[in-house]
Amino acid sequence: MIKESNAMLLTGNHAVSYGAMLAKPKVIPIYPITPQTPIAEKLTELQLSGELEAETMTPESEHSAMAACITASLTGVRVFTATASQGLFLMHEMLHYASGARAPIVMANVNRTIGSPWGFWPDTTDSLAQRDTGWIQYYSESAQESLDTVLQAYRTAEQVMLPAMVIHEAFYVSHSLEVVEVPSHSMVDSYLPPFDPEIYLDPSINRCWGNVVNQEMFWRHRKALGEAMDQTFAVAAKADAEWKELTGRGYELVEAYRCEGAEILIVTMGSMCGTTREAVDLMREQGLAVGLVKVRLFRPFPVQQLQNLLKGVPRVMVMDRNFSPGLGGVLHQEVKAALYGMDKAPAIHGYLVGVGGLNVSPDLIAKLVRRTGQAQPEINSIWVGEEDGA
Amino acid sequence: MLQIRMHGRGGQGAQMAAQILATAFFREGKYVQAFATYGGARRGTAVSSFIRIDDRPIRLRCDIENPDAVLCFDASLLDGKLLQGIEEDTTLLVNSTMPKEAFTELGNYNIFSIDGIAIARRNGLGRIVNSVLLGALAGLLDAPDFENLQSVVKDLSPVKISENLSSCRDGYELARKFKGVA
Repeated sequence: MIKESNAMLLTGNHAVSYGAMLAKPKVIPIYPITPQTPIAEKLTELQLSGELEAETMTPESEHSAMAACITASLTGVRVFTATASQGLFLMHEMLHYASGARAPIVMANVNRTIGSPWGFWPDTTDSLAQRDTGWIQYYSESAQESLDTVLQAYRTAEQVMLPAMVIHEAFYVSHSLEVVEVPSHSMVDSYLPPFDPEIYLDPSINRCWGNVVNQEMFWRHRKALGEAMDQTFAVAAKADAEWKELTGRGYELVEAYRCEGAEILIVTMGSMCGTTREAVDLMREQGLAVGLVKVRLFRPFPVQQLQNLLKGVPRVMVMDRNFSPGLGGVLHQEVKAALYGMDKAPAIHGYLVGVGGLNVSPDLIAKLVRRTGQAQPEINSIWVGEEDGA
Repeated sequence: MLQIRMHGRGGQGAQMAAQILATAFFREGKYVQAFATYGGARRGTAVSSFIRIDDRPIRLRCDIENPDAVLCFDASLLDGKLLQGIEEDTTLLVNSTMPKEAFTELGNYNIFSIDGIAIARRNGLGRIVNSVLLGALAGLLDAPDFENLQSVVKDLSPVKISENLSSCRDGYELARKFKGVA
């Protein structure tokens, strides 16, 4: 019997590279210099060693890299790229173009603080600022989850014909060296069929993309994009369930961890979920009815699932490692909007915690839970800083 | 869970040391998590590495505030702020030409001072002290297994394998002597 997976010691970034390799992309346009991460280096190493057969391109900017991703994808081949912070911002215009072109590119983004001032710290503002670009967004908690999510993202993206971002935070996930099960090619091949779109560009058949359209055509195109997003949750849920059946590892799209009978639920994303699990276990031992709701899929935003999970829970606290000036924590605001007008809606507290990469310990989370249990919720997200134990 | 913190300056090898240590525990069948934070990949800036070792998957994604051991590559980094919150009796391994008595005012820690640069130089490694310090750490913690650590040092040293191995052994033996078990 072929060994179906191999335990390796990998960083979160290298785990993403292995995930991408297993998906067998044909073209990898990637900007190779800062803020690029070791994802790109490892991919080229895998290419050199013959494990990855792809054409890598290194254009002069992330903007050009994304332009190359779109055109390559439209020719009907699987495409992968990776970036972080400023690089993602330089792509911004082309991110809209990619979803408009219905190009199912998968891209990894490492969350890093955005300049200015300059920094390298974990903070999800960079990718959350792309929430309106029409990309599916997954936020990952561990190296293993990042590898698995790259494969799930291809499965999902290519079915709904939308691009997808697999996102994890700097340092705590991206640079964290941990034990990762790397599945075999045969295992992945049985899960992810070759990309074979019905319509693609080929000079010999005279098709093109990007022509000028009238209002009605544009309207129809946007509506169709929205309908694809609407289908995404169900498609992504199936992709996760089937991955779990195959590997034993499933993550759900909105995970409820120890939520039974909870008086307070903590809603967050990414690396803080792992720390929150530890905090929840400690508080449950002390008799506090606390649980975690992990938002793994942020786009499409899982409104219905959050309503189902949070309905009737007295208090909810949202932890945001990001900041939208003039609005507050992005997840806080989106959770509030999702629950607006719902019968038996919880009181929602929002905390800007870990912004700029500040440390978020189980003790700090427990402290915020106690505060949530006693205080009235405020309209705005509350800053939590070093004086609070961050 | 065993939690270790390493402090050094960019270029001193704290990140590589964390990788070697994580690999050694991984080969012993443990779950490990090792990550570093740095303010820019430049020589001279402060670098912290964090390593967790456990028998089950590690879920914590935050800094280590209460380490079981601290390995300090550069004694100039060792001050009250760095040690804030660290419990007494924590193992503190310091690379310094000064004896451990020079650090007792920091608190009632289990301090072991080692002149890593002298040992590295003697073994032909110049100022590269991570093999010495990893050997000493294994000697102080009784983990990872020393022979296993040696094989990892052998596999991961980019150059000067025998020099790294002998440096690692010298560090280990000094630590064992200090503990009174060699």
